[in-house]
Amino acid sequence: MVRGGDIGIGTCLLINGTPHIVVEREFVNPGKGAAFARVRAKNLKNGNVIMQTIRTADFVEDAQVDLVDCQYQYGDGENFHFMNNESFEQFEIPVATHEDRAPYLKEGETYTIVMWEGEPIDIKIPYKMVFTVAESENYIRGDTVSGATKPVTTETGLVVRVPLFIKQGEKILVNTETNEYVERVNE
Amino acid sequence: MDIEILQTRSRMVTVLREFFLSRGYLETDTPALAPSLIPESCLEVFATDYVHPRERGKALYLIPSPEIWMKKVIAATGRSVFQLCKAWRNAESVSPIHNPEFTMLEYYGVGLSSEDNIGLTEELFEALADEKTPLKARPPFRVMSMREAFSEYAHADLDALTEPESMRAACRARGLLVAPNASWDDAFNVLFLSLVEPALPKDRPLVLDRYPAGIECLAADIPGTMYKERWELYVDGIEIANCFTEMANPEAVRRYFSSQSAKKRNALVPHRIDDSYASIFEHFPPCSGVAVGFERLMMVFLGKKTIADVLLFPFEAFSG
Repeated sequence: MVRGGDIGIGTCLLINGTPHIVVEREFVNPGKGAAFARVRAKNLKNGNVIMQTIRTADFVEDAQVDLVDCQYQYGDGENFHFMNNESFEQFEIPVATHEDRAPYLKEGETYTIVMWEGEPIDIKIPYKMVFTVAESENYIRGDTVSGATKPVTTETGLVVRVPLFIKQGEKILVNTETNEYVERVNE
Repeated sequence: MDIEILQTRSRMVTVLREFFLSRGYLETDTPALAPSLIPESCLEVFATDYVHPRERGKALYLIPSPEIWMKKVIAATGRSVFQLCKAWRNAESVSPIHNPEFTMLEYYGVGLSSEDNIGLTEELFEALADEKTPLKARPPFRVMSMREAFSEYAHADLDALTEPESMRAACRARGLLVAPNASWDDAFNVLFLSLVEPALPKDRPLVLDRYPAGIECLAADIPGTMYKERWELYVDGIEIANCFTEMANPEAVRRYFSSQSAKKRNALVPHRIDDSYASIFEHFPPCSGVAVGFERLMMVFLGKKTIADVLLFPFEAFSG
């Protein structure tokens, strides 16, 4: 069980027997009422997002999950293919339920996979990740009027606004929660 | 440092002070530190100690609202009053719309009802607006009853959900988690906060009127209904103001406080109770009061997304 006040982004709730991962959480204090956590939670079986409001003092059922390190191998449009780093067992996660993860998946990279009752149900994305700039438009030097940033696309298809000095082929560190540029990575 | 925030704040304060003074309201100035407070089960307070050099010290509390002192002035003078002052609330998460220290604007009109205060608040918004004020913060207000909002956005007939179990069943029928022993007001809030509040229209200010009596407060009952003369004002989806026609029956006020005191036993910060409160209502004129979160008002008038955007020193900045 998890206390309403302890629910955070990434908490896995068991709602009507189905695991749901919390994707947004805010605390609300309605006028003359108790404190509540209002969460948006994604059904990990069908990808539907639902709203739930839980009193911070109440307890709700959470899904007992295991975290396993797995290597992302490739995507074929229908499934993401992973390999368990310890057992070398291979498995798939449907793209349909985790489409939002696609821009963060790099072949050969290790991710933490959330397992529930032996089934993979979610892919955890590291808070900060290094990407390579695959496409970048050339901007005229001195064009600093528009806030001095430009959009680039990474090798995984993620669009990030970066400073004008970033060139195609360079590596950048990105905050994956906000999709904001952090710094240039020199190797 | 955004000096424009200070200038905007100063302009708004000047306008609203003139607004109320020109209507004959008396400006009050009441204590920030108090030896006792009225019991409000939904609020946690800040406690501090008065240390006397020789004698035994005393616990003092920062006020969560100036309401009780303003009502003492109304009872003593029969005058309409207003006040702008700091208030403090503990144990609320610091969020885009919460800061533990904030500014409260309260105004009480003698002889007014909560309905009259809708019009007065519209006039106040008109006076405060300038060329930068977004359309969604400008009057006229849209008025919707809580019953209409439940029907529209939760597809539920509030009139039929009078028992805790029927309210809990309505939550479950909509796939919402609700504790098996949830009280009526907790189950109401699950439904309201999940389905109704997020769906409220934001194109202009919205007065959500006639709150259910099942949510205890000091608002007068509407005879023959399960509702109270209470509204809340939402601007851009943010709760800005709360208004009651004040409950004036001393017996009902006493009942409310004994119920709130019982619920307050689990408070994180216990405080001494001011039990003189109910006696104020033995000679209290008919009256309606509005409480406005002043920084939230600034947010919506300036089109800012967080309360930190309208404070020079927001809580995060000094929480380390």
